[in-house]
Formats: sequence, structure tokens, C-alpha cells
Amino acid sequence: MKARLTSLLRSMPLRLALALVLLFTLVSLISLTATYLVTARSFDQALRNDLTQRMAGFRAAPNALALAQLVEAEARETDPERMVLSYFAPNLRHYGNAALARDSEGYHVVSLSQDSPRLTGQYLALTAALHGGQLTIARSRSEIAALRRGFLNILVLSLVPTVLVALSGGVLLARRSARNVQAVAHTLDKLTTGDLKARVGAVPAWSDDLAEIAGRIDQMAEAQESSVAAIKQVSSDIAHDLKTPIQRVAVHLDELSRHAELTGAAAEDLDRAQAEIDRIVSVFGSLLQIAQIESGTPRSRFRPVDLGALVAICVDLYEPSAAETGHVLAADLAPDVPAVPGDRDLLLQLLANLVENALRHTPPGSRITVALKLSGPAVRLAVSDSGPGIPEAERENVLRRLYRLDRSRGTPGSGLGLSLVSVVARLHGAEMRLEDNAPGLRVVLTFPDVVGPGSS
Amino acid sequence: MKILVIEDDETTGQFIARGLREEGHSVDLVTDGRAGLIEATGGTHDVMIVDRMLPEIDGLTLIKTLRAAGNRTPALFLTSLGSVEDRIGGLNAGGDDYLVKPFAFGELSARVAALARRPPAQEQDTVLKAGGLEMDLIARKVTRDGVTIDLLPREFAILEHLLRRKGRVQTRTMLLEAIWDISFDPMTNVVETHISRLRAKVDKPFDTELIKTVRGAGYRIDA
Ligand SMILES: Nc1ncnc2c1ncn2[C@@H]1O[C@H](COP(=O)(O)OP(=O)(O)OP(=O)(O)O)[C@@H](O)[C@H]1O
Ligand SMILES: [Mg+2]
Repeated sequence: MKARLTSLLRSMPLRLALALVLLFTLVSLISLTATYLVTARSFDQALRNDLTQRMAGFRAAPNALALAQLVEAEARETDPERMVLSYFAPNLRHYGNAALARDSEGYHVVSLSQDSPRLTGQYLALTAALHGGQLTIARSRSEIAALRRGFLNILVLSLVPTVLVALSGGVLLARRSARNVQAVAHTLDKLTTGDLKARVGAVPAWSDDLAEIAGRIDQMAEAQESSVAAIKQVSSDIAHDLKTPIQRVAVHLDELSRHAELTGAAAEDLDRAQAEIDRIVSVFGSLLQIAQIESGTPRSRFRPVDLGALVAICVDLYEPSAAETGHVLAADLAPDVPAVPGDRDLLLQLLANLVENALRHTPPGSRITVALKLSGPAVRLAVSDSGPGIPEAERENVLRRLYRLDRSRGTPGSGLGLSLVSVVARLHGAEMRLEDNAPGLRVVLTFPDVVGPGSS
Repeated sequence: MKILVIEDDETTGQFIARGLREEGHSVDLVTDGRAGLIEATGGTHDVMIVDRMLPEIDGLTLIKTLRAAGNRTPALFLTSLGSVEDRIGGLNAGGDDYLVKPFAFGELSARVAALARRPPAQEQDTVLKAGGLEMDLIARKVTRDGVTIDLLPREFAILEHLLRRKGRVQTRTMLLEAIWDISFDPMTNVVETHISRLRAKVDKPFDTELIKTVRGAGYRIDA
């Protein structure tokens, strides 16, 4: 779930949507704030001007009494919530629509009318000493506050829907594009793991660029499939054409060895010819087998395979040969390793190839361990030895068909053992790694699929 | 024995037929599946050797058809090089054994002999004997000329296998299949080393050699 969320957040359309929303919000905020500030300032200025003008009007009154009457007259018409007029006359009487009362919290405007005894909100006030009394006129700033509320409303009403629409649109698009990208990725995965028939098959609803990419991928896959098919055809033709003559040569040599009474050099020649034909047959067989596994042995043949039992067979089989060459061959089996779905015969051959390599490419006295254990949910099979190992730079190469290290020229073999191991591993979805056993080689196979708890 | 060989490649067919005749068998050789089916339905053969790839009717279909009709004649499939499918496909179809071409004649001969005498004799016996050697299957004890021989379980199994098939050659690949259930050919001479370990205990301390090497074929304990 969390992984899905992060992958969604990292998708292109959602990122675009988020960026746009952010930009839009910023611009709206800045312009609205600026407009508000300017408007509020000019409002304020207007209030000030109004107050000064009015004060000038009151100053025109000839004496205190006239002023008091003026204030009184105007106060009657004026709502103190909008404007406060207050005159403390020299006779200690108070005129106006509100008075300034003082309490512990400071000055308050207190209305003289009954219904709103105490007024709140901000006022802009101007006070002057006139005719021995004190005149205060104050204008409510509530309009500016209203203005601010208005601006805030505009902000909320315009931003929230925009953000919501943009975000959900982004998520929707991201989901869709993730699905499309997934389809492309899935096809590429299949193509790289050998399913050359896989195609993306772009849907018309796809965006142009993605559809274009999908089209190109399909074209490429098409070309690859046909060229691979051509190569396969050629090599299977060759294989087929050669199989029979090789077989016949072997037959003739076998007859010769059983019937002709050869002696000395002739007998040796015959032995050598037979050994060569055996080698040709074995290389040929391995090449064909690798090709066939690569072209997809049916996984339907897979059964639960107890790798521990296979390790035991292998160690039992090779132990006398190992002892003969001074090698120490041992199994290291963890208990309760579950079975893996697989082809038993191929897995046994894989194991045998690795053990044979460890016997053949290491000096006498080397230690060879075949270890099987659980690694998280996966089963880990490792064949390690204490021989010379394989240099890091060569570890890819030795998996290639017929590739052998220079130093192995003198030992028997044809460079197909590890190729077979690698295709069998791939067939089983197992990861194969060649590691430095310091000293020696360690081949590690990790089988991600397991079938239930196994027998130990 | 009367053996039916169904093989379309002439060289291979003649090779098999000649070899088997030299061993004293009577051989019927046909070169396509249809003729093979007609010959086989007679039901008079002791063993059939059938190439998997045949013109007209392929080997698999042929054996399936025969088995469906109740024909139980043991059949050995010949398969060509590098076919992973063949062993299991062949055995599932009702074949009793299989052999990959090209093969040494000794291998074929040993397998045909094994097929003809299935199941191995002495199945019920609790003591197997050969020469001065006695193997007690219940006590899991082996003695030769009265001297006890200590064998490891694997050595015991190999010796038992050879004793049960006294007088018949067991090839390396037959031993690999029977003892370790291995269907491929290991490169190093693993079977030889197992046999020589066994010989070191069973033969070396005594005068006569019990486990014989048959050149170009395998091993045998004489009856
Ligand atoms: N355990 C090992 N230690 C050192 N080098 C190794 C080891 N295993 C393989 N190699 C090197 O990798 C090369 C390729 O190995 P691979 O098994 O594919 O072929 P091979 O053993 O030479 O022949 P084949 O297995 O076909 O009989 C070997 O020739 C050898 O140089
Ligand atoms: Mg090898």
C-alpha cells in the first residue's frame, strides 16, 4: 500500500498536477494578498480623510454650545457601529452617540443608546480639544475587516475546488498512465525473459507518445522474433542434418571395435576416434539440450523438488571421486527447507555440473561445500570451493556457451556446464550469482518460489 | 529371444539387427511405424526396440496404440540427441526404457537383456549368493568365504543390484539410473570409483574376481 502510494507520487502526471496546483495556489495567494493590501490601504486613507474633513466641519462651530448641538444632531442620525461621535463639553456634560468608557482592559466605546451598550471592533479615531471640551470622532473599520473576510472567502472558494479537481485529475491520470506503463514494462519483461511472442498492442486511447513507444517496441519484438526464428531454423536444420551422420559414424566405429581384431597403433587410433566421437556427441547433446531449455521447456512438468535430497544424491555420487583426487566434499543442509517447484532431472544435472566444476577446476586438497538453506522466504543453494575462483571480469563470460578460462585449456570439458546451469536456473526463475568465496568460487542460486514446508 | 526392431535409419537398424543376431537372437527389422504396428500386433516378440521418430506412425503413438490394445511386450525407445522431452514422454506413453542415439551396442544389449527378464529374478530371496559370496538382505550382512565384509549403505546397494542381476551386464548408465536415479551422463568416471571402492572390499582380499568388467559395456557378477 505504501509502496503503491510512493510509486503513484512518483508518476509523471501526478507530479505535473501537483506542480501546477502549487503554482496556481502561489499566484492566487500573491495577487489576492496584494489586491487586499492595496484596497485596505486606500480604505484606510479614505477613512482618515473623512475624519479630518468632519473635524474641520466641527471646528467651524463658534462656541461650545453650538458644537454640542451640532454633535447631538449628527449623533442622532448616526449609528455608533459605523461612526462614533463624542463631545465632552466644558460643562462636564457629554454629547454624542457613544462615550469612551474606561475599564481594566482599556478604552471602550460605549454606546449611549440602550440596545448596544458596548461596541467592539476596530475604530479609527481623531480627537481634538475644542472650546474647552474634547471632541472625538471615530469611524469603524469593520468595512476593512469585512473586506478581509471577503478576500479570504474568495481565496477559499476559488482555491479549494481547483486544488481538489487538479489533484484528483492528476491521480486519475497517474493511475491510467501507470497502468499503461505497466503494460509496456510487462511486455518488455516477457521479451527479455525469452517470450519473443509478447507484444504491447497499444490501445487507441493511449497518449501519442506512449502509443508511439509501444508501437516501436512491438516492431522491435517482431524483428527480433523473426530473426531468432531464422537462426533457430538454421541451427535446428544443421543439428538435424548432423545428428544422423554423427550417429552413423558412432555406429561404424562401434562395429569396428567389436568385429575387427585390431592391434597396436590401429587399436589406439580406433580408441581415440571413439573418444572423439563421444566428445562430439556430448557437446552436441549439451548444445541441443541448452537450446531446447532456452526455447522453453514446459513448466507444466514442474513438480515439488526436495533440493536437499538432490544435494544428498550428488554428494553421495561424487564423494569417492572427490576422495580419489584429495578433495573434501561435504553437504551442509539446513533442516526444514521447503521444496521448490521444478524439473528434478534438470536440477540434479545443474547440481552435478557445479560439483564437477568444483572437482575439476580446483587443486587437490580443496574443500567443496554444497549448502542448502532458507533465506527469507526463498531457498538458497550454494556450491562453494576453496580453489582459484573465477576473476570478477570473467564471471559473465563463463556463462557463455563453449567459454572456458585460459588456465582450463588443459582440463577436460567443453565450456557448457555453466551455460546449462544458467539456463536451468532461469527456467526455474532462480537468481544465479558467481561470488568470491575468498578463496575460491561460490555459485549461489536463489529460488524465490517454494511449495509449502519441505521434509528435511 | 525374438526381438522386433522398428528403426527407419538403415545404418542404425542394420547395426542393431546384426549385433543382436550375433548374440543369438532372432530379429525382425522394419523401417516404418505402420509396418511396425502390424508386426507388433502379432504379439510374438519378447522385446521391441522402437525409434521415437518414425515415418507413417511415430514411435510414441505406436506404443500407446499397442498398450491400449493390451499388448505388454517390453519396449525400448530410441531417441535422438538433445531431446529433453523424450525420457518422460516415452515412459509415460508406455515405454519401459529409453536410450539416446548414438549408443554403444553393449549398452543396448544390456538393456534389452534387462527388459526381457523383468522383474528381476530372486525378488523374494532374503539371501543372495554368488561364488563364495553371501548377502543377507535382512541382517544386511555380507560374507565371502565365511569372512565378514563391512559395506557402506551405498556399496551394499550396488552389490545387491549386481547380485540380483547375476549373469547380466549392468552398464554405467543403468547403475546411475538404478542406484542414484540419474538420467544424465556425469563427466567424471564416478561409477568406476564406486565400483573400485566396492572391489577393494569384495574382491581384493580374495583370490578370484567376482565383479567383472565387460569391456565397452559395464560390470557383471557371473551366475
Ligand atoms: N569452481 C570453479 N573454480 C574455478 N574455475 C571454474 C570453476 N567452475 C568453472 N570454472 C571456469 O569456468 C569455465 C567454464 O565452466 P563450465 O562448467 O561452463 O565449462 P567446463 O567445466 O570447462 O566444461 P564442461 O562443464 O562443459 O565439461 C571453466 O572452464 C573454468 O575455467
Ligand atoms: Mg563444467
